[in-house]
Formats: sequence, C-alpha cells, structure tokens
Amino acid sequence: MGTKAFTRRDFLRMGAALAAGASLPLGTAKIFAAGLEKLATTTRVIWIQAQSCTGDSVSLLNSTEPGPVDLLTKFISVAIHQTVGASQGQTFMDTLEKARATGDYILVIEGSIPEMSRACVIGGQDVKDLLLKLIPGAKMVMAAGTCACFGGIPAAEGNPTGAMSVMDFMKKNGLTVQGKLINCSSCPTHPKALVGTIAYVAAKGYPVVHPEHLTPKMFYGFSTHDECPRYHFYERKIFAQYLGDQEGCLFKLGCLGPISYTECPHRQWNGGVNWCIRASSPCIGCSSPFFSIKKDFPFYRKGENQHAVNYTEQDRKGAAK
Amino acid sequence: MANTITISPLTRIEGHLAIHTETESLPDGTQKITSARCEGEMFRGIEKILVGRDPLDAQQITQRICGVCPIAHAIASVEAQEMAYGITPVRNGRLLQNLIFAANYIQSHVLHFYILAALDFVDIKAILKYNGGDRTLRSLKAWVENSLATKDVFPAAPFLPRYEVDQYIKSDEINWRLIGNYAKALETRTIAHEMAAVFGAKLPHSTSIVPTGVTQIPTIERVLAYRARLDKLVEFIEECYIPDLVTAAKAYPQYWDIGKGYGNFLSYGVFRMEEATGEGIRKFIPAGVVIDGKWEALDSKKISEDVANSRFSSASGLHPYEGQTIASPQKGYSWLKAPRYKDTVMEVGPLARTMVAYYSPNGQSIKKEIDDTLTSLGLTPAKMNSVLGRHLARGLEAIRVAKQAYEWLGEVELDKPAAKDFDIPQSGKGFGLTEAERGALGHWLVIGDYKVKNYQCVVPTTWNCSPRDDKGRPGAVEKALEGTIVADATQPIEPGRIVRSFDPCIACAVH
Repeated sequence: MGTKAFTRRDFLRMGAALAAGASLPLGTAKIFAAGLEKLATTTRVIWIQAQSCTGDSVSLLNSTEPGPVDLLTKFISVAIHQTVGASQGQTFMDTLEKARATGDYILVIEGSIPEMSRACVIGGQDVKDLLLKLIPGAKMVMAAGTCACFGGIPAAEGNPTGAMSVMDFMKKNGLTVQGKLINCSSCPTHPKALVGTIAYVAAKGYPVVHPEHLTPKMFYGFSTHDECPRYHFYERKIFAQYLGDQEGCLFKLGCLGPISYTECPHRQWNGGVNWCIRASSPCIGCSSPFFSIKKDFPFYRKGENQHAVNYTEQDRKGAAK
Repeated sequence: MANTITISPLTRIEGHLAIHTETESLPDGTQKITSARCEGEMFRGIEKILVGRDPLDAQQITQRICGVCPIAHAIASVEAQEMAYGITPVRNGRLLQNLIFAANYIQSHVLHFYILAALDFVDIKAILKYNGGDRTLRSLKAWVENSLATKDVFPAAPFLPRYEVDQYIKSDEINWRLIGNYAKALETRTIAHEMAAVFGAKLPHSTSIVPTGVTQIPTIERVLAYRARLDKLVEFIEECYIPDLVTAAKAYPQYWDIGKGYGNFLSYGVFRMEEATGEGIRKFIPAGVVIDGKWEALDSKKISEDVANSRFSSASGLHPYEGQTIASPQKGYSWLKAPRYKDTVMEVGPLARTMVAYYSPNGQSIKKEIDDTLTSLGLTPAKMNSVLGRHLARGLEAIRVAKQAYEWLGEVELDKPAAKDFDIPQSGKGFGLTEAERGALGHWLVIGDYKVKNYQCVVPTTWNCSPRDDKGRPGAVEKALEGTIVADATQPIEPGRIVRSFDPCIACAVH
C-alpha cells in the first residue's frame, strides 16, 4: 500500500498525539511515527473476536488521535475484522486464509478463549483451532482487553465454558509468550494504548512489558491511585460515604485504583471528556488481572451494610502485589 | 431438489452468527429460500457467573454482555435492582441515565446504518471515479488507488473484498455521497460516545450508572459538553442519515417487500418519564404488544423461553424468574434460547417499538409521523414490515430520541446529586424491562442471603434470531428469510441484507 495520500509529517503529527498522555521517554513520538508508517505500508492486522462483547473493537473506533477514518485507511491495515469488514461467509474465510498465508501480520485477539467445544465458532471452526493456526505465523500477538489478557468475566469463578486468557491458551499449547504476546488490558482496551502499542511493535518490535502481566510499560506504568485527583482526600483520610458522594477518596466504596495500571488519570476516556474517578465512580479494576474473577471480591463496598463482602481492607490492598 | 446456501460467518453484525438456508432452484437460475436457520455461535454463561455475587456487581457484569449496547444492560440491571431493593431513582439520576442512554442510542443507530448495513448497498469502488474537491473523498480515493497500484494483496481492506454482484448502487453521485457520509458516520459515532461519557464516565461500559441514578453530578460544564455534541449529532442525523436513508430506499424499492416477518411486535418501553421502577410506568417510547395488528398492554408474566433446539439441557418453557442456564454444547443448533410471548413468536427492535406506538391508544403523534412519511414515499403502513421499514423506523427514532435529549438536558437540576444511598436487602426479587437499541431487553433478579440467587437476561436478538421453538416454529429472522430470492448462490448478498435489517447482537443474545 502506498503512502502518497499522506506525508511523513502526518505520521509525525499522529505519532506525537499518541505519545502525549503516556509516560514515555523523549523520542518515542518518532518511534510511533515510524511504526504507523510501516503499518500503512506493510504490516497487516488480523483481528479475531473470540468470547468477546465487541467492546474492544468499539473502543478502537473511539480513537481520536488519529480519528477512526485515518486509523482504518492510513495507519492500520486491517485485513480481517468481523464487525467492520465488508467480507462475509466464504469470502471472509478465504480472505483470512490469504492473510494468514502472507506470514506478515500482527494478530489482535479480542475476548477469552473457551475450552468447551462449540462455545465460540467462526466459519464452522472452533476459535481455539483457528487460533492455533494463526498464532504461530503471527509477527506479534496482541490481546486487546481484559478478557483476552487475563480471562476477565467469561473466565470468572463459576463460568461454564473453561474460558481462558490468550496467555494461558498459548502456554497450554506449548507456545512461547515472552517476546510474542503483549497484553493491552482494561475493559474495554484503551484506544491509545492499543494503537500506540501496535505502532511501537511495527517500528521497534517487542516493547518493555511487565514481567508477569505482559502489559507494555509505556502505557501501563503507574496505578490510578498514585496519580488520583482525589489523592489529597486519601492523605487527609476523608472518604466518600455512598455511591455518588462528591467528596472524599473512593477507597472505602471499593475503589480498586491501587491495583489498576491503566494510567486513566492522564489519558482519561473518550477523547479525554471523562473517566471513572472524575465521574465519582470507584475504579472497578477493569485493567487488573484480578478483574471480576472471584465471586466474593465484589466491585463495590457499601459501608458496613455490605454483607456480601467477606474480605478485609488489607486483602484489597494486598491484591496489588 | 433442495440446495443449501450457507453464510458462515455472517459478519458486520455484533458477534458470531451463521445462517444456513435450504433453497429451491427457480427456472431463471436463481434460488428461493424455503427455510433458514440462525446459529448463534458463542456462549459465556454470564447468568451462571452472576450467581453467588454481590447484586451490585450486576450492572457492571451485565454491561459486558455487549460492547455495542452496554447502557441498555446497565439500565435493565439497575431497574431490576431498584425493584428488588425497594428503592426508586432520584430525578437527576433518571434524567442523566436517559441522557447517557440516548447518546448510546444515537451511537448505535448511526453505527448500524453506515458501518454495518451500508456496505451491502454502496459501491465502494465508485470512489475511483471521484474527481471532485471533497478532501475526505480525495484522500480515500488516493488510498484505494495506491493500494491497487502497489498490487497489494488486500487493496482497500477491510472494505474489500466483498460479494461481487451487480446489485450495488449505480449512481456515482449517490455512492460518493454515501461513502463520504460513511466516513462522517465513523467520526459521529465517536462523538456520540464522548457525549455518553460526559455523564457516563467512559464508553463502552459506563461505571457511573448505579441504582437510584448516576454518580456524575450535572455541572454547567458537563451540560455544555453534552449539548455541544448533541448539536453535532442532530445535524448529522438531519443532513446525512435521514436523507441517505430515503436515497437508499428509493434505490432499492423492492426491499419494501423483502424480509417480511410475522408482523407481531413487542416493546417493553424505554426512557423513564417518572421516578419509578416496574411495569406500567410512564416511558418516552411506550411499552406494548401488537399481535395480528391488534394492540394490547404488556404483561411480562406471559414471557417464557423454549430450549428444544438450543444448546441447553435446562427445562423448557420457563418464565425468566425460574429460568435456568445449563449448557449442553452438543444439543440443538444455537446458543440462543427461543423466547416467546403468549406462546407467540415476536419481533423486537425499532420497527416493533414504532408499530407498538402506532397501534397504541395514545399513539396519535407517531401514527401521524409514520403515515406522513409513508405517504410522501407513496407507501402504505403494511410496507413497514420489511427490510426498509426496519431501517426507516430506526432512523426516525434516532432523530426523535436526539430531540428529546434536549428536553431532558433542560430539566436537569445543576449541581444537585444524581444518586442517593441505599441498602441491599437479605432477599428480594426484581425485574428491569427496557429497550436496547435493537429491541426489548429484560433482566430478572432473585436475591437470597444478600447475594444473587438467580439472574436471567432475555435479550433483543434472543427474540429476533431465536432458533425454532418447542413447537418447531422458526424465529423472527428465520421467518423473514423464507421466500427470499438469491440471484447468485456463490455471492449470496440478499440474506445478509435481511438479517442486518434486524441489527442483530449475538453477544447479547447468547450472553
């Protein structure tokens, strides 16, 4: 694909936009710019939805820098996408096989992968069989969103399908995850983290990641608690009393900011118009590996009336590791 | 002799769907669909995952059923919780919930018409003939030209490849306009999500919606942020969406007769107009049922779910309060259950909401709007039961909801709380009935020992794309596919147009 329709300056501008709002070293904008250019000229993206809600795809379309049109036509060459692509039926499956055969693609996986046969099928194939064909040839595998990264809600306690993260799926099938898999968690994934990571990968290869969580450090560096705008309340031990209380740290309502490393206080959401804490909602830890997994670890704590809770404040802090 | 046509996967909808049809060959070489099966091909078991959890987790967990219509699940869940907790919303909370929901309605309807449905009609390749001055179109043309010139293996992906048929719009001018508006629609739906996040914290999956209201307080800064975006959306709907809808309808008049369903419609009503929870409360879009052209009031006790052809070994025909979800992956042909109302197959969605209002005793204004629109197009009300009728109902609803959002915004009390404290009882029962963008959505919650004892969701596409029920009757989409003529069995573009007119959401339907 040629690049005549846009210039190197366009790439630099977009690269700078991606770098803004992330805790990145100087010079990163240039790397992003080079990555975006490479994506537009060579590297394809195959996007597969497993046990997903399509929320990560919708979040990708919520990208503002670059906007969704530039993203799809100039910066990322999405060969296959179940929601956006024109192809369907056999044409879809033929295109997927053609893209696989190039051996030059980044594989993005949205959603968890079920152990149970028939619990997720694309074109007559169990998605686990399809992914075993796609993962080995992929230049890089990106898990988009917490279901793909850590299992998320489909893998929560009591689930009937044996849902697992891409990481567990790859390990189970003897595939190496280090240097190959990158987790862009949160529910949904943040468009800046996802697009920025794809661009970095295209230019520089595998980024520096958290050793266990495999989340790229450049987008998942610090916790929401550390940079929280309500941190001054926490310092002074002023705590919000009920959901919707405008004053106080939200910790005693169950806020999971201390274990969430999505950098929400800086990037915020939807082009920066808002985010959970700014809207007085406790962080529910949607980017954390522990998100939703345990039945007796609820999202909220409603003061002393919360009978379903049987953990202590220390447990909650301890989850941060 | 029976032939088959299979579309697997049927894309440009939400989720995992395959369509299998049996057809008969006609003398002119075309195929006529004699029967169809909708196969929902994904399952997570969200209802099982909810059992044993804090009930307050439900509006977060159920939103993750669907990333396209999360707000509908949040609303159904908080209404179910409010009934079970014995509480009602505060006025600001109700208004802000409506405003967040309205934003997602517009987001979803715009997404559906342009991003999901339009590529069945618009000729993307017409961009190559563009010689005008529009910046976006010139840029898109350069992109496609370059990708073709470099012998790219995937030129203009993901907009190509497609079914190659002689059935796309012929007029270059119309194609250019629609392609340009497709690009605008992508930006517009992003703005709609920003507008939802102004009060909803983030989209998809809002964290601010809670029982009794919304944690975000309405400041003047927030109200202005919402309003500025709403102005842009209204402009897009009025200047692009509605005119494009009419243009497409004129280009494909046969689709007023294609995709006819049972004609039985169900609506739970949506957008609360009073601080109350439950059946029979006042809503902006009304609840009701139309069977054989006759309106009747909704009675949620008449809802049941069959599973004879579903991948569940649970008992069949249960009301959702008693509903079970026991997976049996080798059984049946779909992960969707088959919900029925009064043992009747129902269609849900914008068309159903429109027809329920049209036939309701208080439906004068909507009846006039629909009759006037149809008259201007030279059509009768019977034509609404069709592919184009569903698209038209959706577009007209988008503008109606957007204009009402100004009213709600004006009613908000600035700087006043939008939620209040509440307690969760040891036991209780409640249901929340609302309308997701794509149709009737109900959540049924039973609490025992402060935890979720049972949680059942009956979801729009579960109605529309349901498999055959215990009596063997096809679901609404299966029925609408019957009789469809497919011109080229190797490039079967027609079934997708019918299926997409229902705006299916399979992740919702299977949950």
